[in-house]
Amino acid sequence: MPDYFTSIGTLLDGSFLQSGALWALSTIPGFPPIIQTVHILGIAVVMGSVVILNLRILGLAVPSQNITEMTRRLMPWLWWALTSNLVSGAFFLFGRPLRYFNNPIFGWKVSFLICAVLLTLFFHLMSRREEAYWESSSKRLWSARAVALLSLMSWLMVAMAGRWIAYVEYIYYPA
Amino acid sequence: MGFLNSPKWIDVENWSLSWTIGGTWWFPFLESIHVIAAAFVVGSILMVDLRLLGFAAVKYPISTLSKELVPWTWGAFVIATVTGLGMFITRAASHVVNPAFQWKIVLLALAGLNMAYFHFRIYKNIARWDGASSTPMQLKVIGSLSLLLWSGVMLAGRWVGHII
Repeated sequence: MPDYFTSIGTLLDGSFLQSGALWALSTIPGFPPIIQTVHILGIAVVMGSVVILNLRILGLAVPSQNITEMTRRLMPWLWWALTSNLVSGAFFLFGRPLRYFNNPIFGWKVSFLICAVLLTLFFHLMSRREEAYWESSSKRLWSARAVALLSLMSWLMVAMAGRWIAYVEYIYYPA
Repeated sequence: MGFLNSPKWIDVENWSLSWTIGGTWWFPFLESIHVIAAAFVVGSILMVDLRLLGFAAVKYPISTLSKELVPWTWGAFVIATVTGLGMFITRAASHVVNPAFQWKIVLLALAGLNMAYFHFRIYKNIARWDGASSTPMQLKVIGSLSLLLWSGVMLAGRWVGHII
């Protein structure tokens, strides 16, 4: 793990953010599973927005739906779901910052997330620049497919890595 | 509900497959696939539910939207069920008496009934409101129930891990 990454953990450890998060997690009855469910519902919205859109671009799903129209309709859902997931995730991140910022799988999750967000943002911004941008030529359609494939894999890896944070010792077995 | 306390569940935990999954990286692997598949089930159902409520994708007929998503929902559901069973057998005896697990099964059954009611009773009259952006009350109730029940399945499912 890079030093600046682990030092974020050290910075948060013992801060008021940690005490606030720990207070909520330990005082409000059922708070941990409820917040985790909110987090998974956010992932469900990721699946129902960008993942379905990527499957559509790859020609695998919902053939009647139009790519440009889908992008315009689904992207706000994705960005709101991500915002919600940042908040729900922050409770756990702030609660035990050292657990996450020293965890190599969390590092992978953040890396995949950055990849996924950049690819999706690129796709979204280009489609806003010009009506039917990605469908206007076969070259652009093939670029859209390449972006969609990478984006799809990145989003799935974010979810996958997220679950494996708890199982880090299976991959990085303690020496 | 005597069968919940049957020693047979212990036998299930002692299958060699149960030991293999429970004692290796197979368990977290199945669990992560389970989460992705379950999120996909709920995400695809959410798209149809929001259409039933008249909130989203109103340009598309309900029948088209649902027909194109259902195979994906079922595919993901099968994956979630297989991976779920794989995890279940590693702690079968404690799962069947776990209140969160029991809630999950009941909510799953209710969500299934709600879906069956939609597909077998309501769907017959589909032509009447297929393209309508403002949907009748009956559809709104089904869509809301589906959202609530599936969120409940997720909450109960997540809670299983906090009790075991």
